[in-house]
Amino acid sequence: MSVHLSIKSVGKSFPGVRALGNVSVELKGGEIVAIVGENGAGKSTLLKILSGDYALDEGHVSLDGTSLDGGTPLEAREAGFRLVRQEPEIVPFVSVLENIYIGEMPAGRGGRVDFARMRREATAMLARYGFAGLIDLDQEGRTLSPAQMQLVEILRALKPGAKVVAFDEPTSSLTQRETERLFDLIRQLKADGLAVIYVSHRLHEIMEIAERVFILKDGAPTGDLQIDATSEEEIVRLMVGRDLDAHGMRRKPVEPGEVVLEVEGLSSRWHRDISFSIRAGEIVGFAGLVGAGRTELAKVIFGEYPRTSGTIRIDGETRTIRTPSDAIRANMGLAPEDRKGEGLILVRSVMENASMAVFHKLSRWGILRQAEMLETVEPLVRRLDIKTPSLETEVGKLSGGNQQKVVLARWLAASPRLLILDEPTRAVDVGAKAEIYRLIDDLARSGLAIMMISSEMPELLSMSDRIIVMKDGRISEPVPRHEATEERIVNLALGTAA
Amino acid sequence: MTTTDTPRPPSQDGALKRITAFVGAENLSLIIALIILVALIASQSEFFFSARNILNIGQNMAVVGLLAVGMTLVIVSAGLDISVGSMAGAASVVCALVVNATDMVGLGIAGGMALGTVLGLVNATIITVLRVNPVVATLATFSAFRGLAFLIAPGGRPVGVLDPELRFLGSGRVFETEGFPGIPVSFLILLFVAVVAHIVMKTTVFGRSIYSMGGNPAAARLAGINLTSMKFRIYAISGALAGLAGVIVTARTSSGQPASGTQGLELEAITAVFLGGALLSGGKGTIVGTMLAVMLIAVLANGMNLLGIPTFYQLVAKGLLLVAAVAIGQWRLARSERQQAQAAAAGSQ
Repeated sequence: MSVHLSIKSVGKSFPGVRALGNVSVELKGGEIVAIVGENGAGKSTLLKILSGDYALDEGHVSLDGTSLDGGTPLEAREAGFRLVRQEPEIVPFVSVLENIYIGEMPAGRGGRVDFARMRREATAMLARYGFAGLIDLDQEGRTLSPAQMQLVEILRALKPGAKVVAFDEPTSSLTQRETERLFDLIRQLKADGLAVIYVSHRLHEIMEIAERVFILKDGAPTGDLQIDATSEEEIVRLMVGRDLDAHGMRRKPVEPGEVVLEVEGLSSRWHRDISFSIRAGEIVGFAGLVGAGRTELAKVIFGEYPRTSGTIRIDGETRTIRTPSDAIRANMGLAPEDRKGEGLILVRSVMENASMAVFHKLSRWGILRQAEMLETVEPLVRRLDIKTPSLETEVGKLSGGNQQKVVLARWLAASPRLLILDEPTRAVDVGAKAEIYRLIDDLARSGLAIMMISSEMPELLSMSDRIIVMKDGRISEPVPRHEATEERIVNLALGTAA
Repeated sequence: MTTTDTPRPPSQDGALKRITAFVGAENLSLIIALIILVALIASQSEFFFSARNILNIGQNMAVVGLLAVGMTLVIVSAGLDISVGSMAGAASVVCALVVNATDMVGLGIAGGMALGTVLGLVNATIITVLRVNPVVATLATFSAFRGLAFLIAPGGRPVGVLDPELRFLGSGRVFETEGFPGIPVSFLILLFVAVVAHIVMKTTVFGRSIYSMGGNPAAARLAGINLTSMKFRIYAISGALAGLAGVIVTARTSSGQPASGTQGLELEAITAVFLGGALLSGGKGTIVGTMLAVMLIAVLANGMNLLGIPTFYQLVAKGLLLVAAVAIGQWRLARSERQQAQAAAAGSQ
């Protein structure tokens, strides 16, 4: 079997945007090729063309001589191209077995589903790739952990006939050990003669697993290099088109002011006895693995989730916080991690999204005052440099970076004392990131206390005055900035000795 | 595409632009459809433009229109209220009983609206405290409240009520002059309620919060909006307006009607709200759009009657209209989501 995926001069445009142009790559069986690029560089578009989700506008794609130019998802799968999606769709109330075969259940006599064959095949796959014991085929989808969901998605891809397997950010919800297991799998696929595409932001993973790296910037290829002949620095340069200090800007230290937030003995379903404080002008970073309880901590402090004990003081005053509106009255703001799910009302305007936390302040007798809304929102849009056609534009039509700025604008309008930022630069491209860093720095300098949860080490190290590391619902002693190193933080997060 | 139901800064554009801004670009298609429909029916029946028929349409609009105004609040908040017709029936009976007992029309109106409010609060309680999905909750009370209406009517029969003041509310006209048949009082009530609702939806904290919670409940809660208290207020208003609609039914028919005159109106009210541009998923919809759609539906029903189309066909047509209304909304949503995806794909800057 000699697998050969050929991508020739492929282009794809959306009205007003050229998402991909003149992309050519050849891939052979037994090869592991990484695709990297910033958000919006065209990686997802390319994967979606290969998987048949999008039709291409120009060029040709073929797999072992089968043209996939006008392909549908089903044709692409049957030809042997399998995509392991970043966020797998799992049906909650059916078994793992049925989840694996969803849409492709083998039919036996009289159109009845051939469960015996499904079970045989699935069991064989589990054994062959060393996953036996990690998942129960009869388990219901809703009981799966994120890593198990990923496994179901992988098994979907590895069903007979797979020739090219593409992994889209496969490690974002995996632990270190699970990641290593995934790498073993990928090496086995390579040994079996399959071609592997590996899309990831994590360059050290790419250096470890891939043999070639294909780099995209603004929809166009900027490099196709052998891993042995390149370095992380070179890849970053080709991704962003300029040399970049890996740690970005370093925030100048600020003389911290009065204590703004004091959390004492806080416990909840997720947390045990957490105490810390944040001063005015200070940015305290929260590091930790996914699932360590950081997002939950933000929501407990903000009154969205209940706490079982503990006190929260703002400016020295104990506040009763049971709901988010209590928190807002106590001068807190929260920019949640899931911007689209919890942060913004996508179908409403910039104006409404930016002013909704202060509707009561902008009204008299319950009637909103247009002039005051404008006076509040317009300067913020200018100060944050939010790029929007008008204040009436639906927020869903803005880019990720500008959407995040709208969330920030909402809280600035409320002039809070404490701002909780949960993954403030998630799904924001590099240019907008720098701007958001500058904004956060400005805000701290103007006297806000900032609690910043982040999974991006450079961001934590460069922005935080102190870093608190969470592990299994407990926190570490704060690490001051001059003592903070990547190794120390990672060791605290993993619970390994430094 | 700009939204038309958001507050916009005042502009000094021409009159035509101002009218378009008020009506909303998305509602233009409704107006065009209305004009075509009127032209079509008028060409087939010369009676259509007669004073009496126009009055008739205006009166018919009143009851459905009141339900549709409340329904707009409910649907924009991403809920649904199937029980409005049943609430109106119960309120109609209560209104008649109160007027018979006290001889005071004002008390009758208050009684009908108070009952509607209470029933709306019952809906809200089921939805918030018992956490039952609004469709199921109000489908249940759709049946329960209708049963209640029959139970409070002695013997389960219509309650006759002879009060000239009440009659005036239902069938009276004002500004009647020679050559002008006047305006039905019930239509004026609807107009007043709609104008108030329009102002509330557009300019008040309560109104704007309805749009926020309908568009994304999680984000609205994190921005400090109390979803539970919002739902209580929204369903109570829907109930109160259904109560007022019931009062008008009593006034028009001179009897408290447990069923006749309000049955099936939930369908028309829901159709009107969707036809008026609201989204099933919430966060969008305007009073202006709903009122135009109410007018369209009233004209359509009237036209079908004038043209002698049998009732059974009319029922089929009403069903099709609801499907068409929601389908148009879904199509609009898909189009706007495509635009969002493209914007997201365009990514930066």
